[in-house]
Amino acid sequence: MRNAWKIASWEVLRNLTNKQFIFGLVITPLIMALFIVVPVFLERMNQPSEITYYVVDELGAADTLKELLPTHVVLVEAEPGSDLRELVLSKKGAGYFLLQESFVTTGQLELFYNDSNSQAVSSLRQALTALLQQLRLAGSGVSPEELALLTASAQVQQVPLKEEAQPQTMHLVVSSVFTGLVYFLVFTSGTMLMQSAVQEKRDRMAEVVLSSISPRELMQGKIVGHFLLGLIQLGFWLALGLPFAVRFLEFPILEALRAVNLPVILAFGLGGYLLFSALFVGLGATMEDLQSAGNAQSIVIMLPMLAFLFLGPVISNPNGSIAVFASLFPLTSSAIMMLRSGFTAVPLWQQLLSAALLLITAFITMRASAKIFRVGMLMYGKNATPKEVWKWLRYRES
Amino acid sequence: MDGLHVEGITKSYGSTTVVDNVSFQAPQGKILGLLGPNGAGKTTILRMIMGITAPDRGRVVFQQGSNQTQGVPFSSVGYLPEERGLYKEAKVLRILLFLAGLKDVPPAEARKRALQWLRKFGLEDCANKKVEQLSKGMAQKVQFIAAVLHKPKFVVLDEPFSGLDPVSQDLFKAEIRALASSGAAVLLSSHQMNIVEELCDEIFLINKGKEVVKGNLQSIKERYGSFRVDLLCSAEQALRFDSGLVEGWEKLDDSRFRCILREGVQPVQFMQSLPADLALRELTISRPSLHDIFVQVAQGGAQHAERLEDR
Repeated sequence: MRNAWKIASWEVLRNLTNKQFIFGLVITPLIMALFIVVPVFLERMNQPSEITYYVVDELGAADTLKELLPTHVVLVEAEPGSDLRELVLSKKGAGYFLLQESFVTTGQLELFYNDSNSQAVSSLRQALTALLQQLRLAGSGVSPEELALLTASAQVQQVPLKEEAQPQTMHLVVSSVFTGLVYFLVFTSGTMLMQSAVQEKRDRMAEVVLSSISPRELMQGKIVGHFLLGLIQLGFWLALGLPFAVRFLEFPILEALRAVNLPVILAFGLGGYLLFSALFVGLGATMEDLQSAGNAQSIVIMLPMLAFLFLGPVISNPNGSIAVFASLFPLTSSAIMMLRSGFTAVPLWQQLLSAALLLITAFITMRASAKIFRVGMLMYGKNATPKEVWKWLRYRES
Repeated sequence: MDGLHVEGITKSYGSTTVVDNVSFQAPQGKILGLLGPNGAGKTTILRMIMGITAPDRGRVVFQQGSNQTQGVPFSSVGYLPEERGLYKEAKVLRILLFLAGLKDVPPAEARKRALQWLRKFGLEDCANKKVEQLSKGMAQKVQFIAAVLHKPKFVVLDEPFSGLDPVSQDLFKAEIRALASSGAAVLLSSHQMNIVEELCDEIFLINKGKEVVKGNLQSIKERYGSFRVDLLCSAEQALRFDSGLVEGWEKLDDSRFRCILREGVQPVQFMQSLPADLALRELTISRPSLHDIFVQVAQGGAQHAERLEDR
């Protein structure tokens, strides 16, 4: 294990002094921040500017309609008989319509538009619906209060039976973001690990290193080293991101973090890393370079993505049978279990069974990978075929 | 004997036997040349010695005084592989310290030795350069340093001279000799026969995974270096030679014949025995060089070599 530590610290140091790694370390949160900030900014930019409709009011209902419309939709009354088309075009209005008796009887109205703005049209439609209801009920003696009562929509409030099952949007968001971050790290660390194995081969260093330590130690060292690098990245990003989030996002993120099921996330994050790192380090040993990955290799690279298939069903029904399956199946369990823990109280037996399955799978993968690694690291000039890999798996170990 | 003992190692991949019952010794203080055509099994043998792969049969023993270990301890091996490379984006000194660290050399000591070696090879300015900035020859020197920095008792050098200019070759030769005289067992694998002849005390020649010739270079030369006679004359005449002096004749073409003089027979003796009426058109008497032996083995395969062996 001492030799594995030497490899681990070498991998850490080598990456920490590598420009590319530093660049990624800094640029990734910037890109993430960009993805959060830009949509918010765009949303602000997209604040509805004033939209003007012209109306010829034969019903005397224009004032009521004005009150029903949101402030940015402006209604301007026009003289009957004026050239409304010319007016709208010259004043750059959005359109015009006539409020006539036929509207009250048929409920139909023609909107002549210059500029189709679906948001404004939908606001207008809502306001006109309300107006129509008022106009039609005006004769029947129903007051506006009674009308409001009659047309009110049902309100459903969700009350959880158990306190811990209480879904709080804020917690869900933080928990999901945290899960995403951990899984992102599992995936990037795995990929870096694979690159590191490929690089060891490409730089023709494997033989020299393996004349000093055993393949198992080299593999362990790499796995531990990239785990530490992952932690360093996570720590760096949290240190950078938390103050930012507290300052700019308008909810108490620290309190929400306390509500996140940290033990489950960390345990399954680690489990996921063990499994996928073993998979990726073995995979790296079978490859000549990343660009020429064969079909079988590409499929293995995609395996961690499998969890994404289950995102929809798990979020919409976190206790359904699909969610339970996905949180037990080792290839998806780490991501899904982390995610589910934020949405619902996962039964203890599921947590334990899932953890056991994940660990057993990780252990078996690790053993298989070690066999692939010891042969693959010394093979130069080509990608291994699945048949060759199968043969390596059956070699006896010295 | 102190040094490496390889005892009957065999390695098969599937139905192909890559190394077949190979035994030899690399004594400390000597340079052993491991020779063989491409694909003869040299790299596999080296990897088994290094413990990178395990032999199916046989064993590798390393003796140091009364201390005998199965396989060579990692800390005692220095290895310069044929497939060469260094971490491209890392700095020279840092790589040397890392590799020395893997061999358990204390950091301060490793730094001191690394700087000494770099100075010796005229690379003191490169200590903080990245490997990708070095020329091929410079990188090779760095790798040589990495192989010997921890003062190994057993050094494996696989094609150490390829790509080196003559000046650097001489530098390497001197260092390799110094390694041996400092008490290390050196195993040198190379295709450059002139250098092997110059450097090696002992030779081990393999082909197709089997041992072909081994032993002290001088004795090999005496054994296989018996004079070789090439004659250009008519066939009937060739058969009239005194068979007491020469081995069996080999017919190269219609009028060209080759024979090897029996051990101890001097060229003058042979020439005196030539019939006076011999219509000799050409006569060459030469001693096969290591190069010749190697080429014969590589071209003629193991059978030819076995014939050499039988003589």
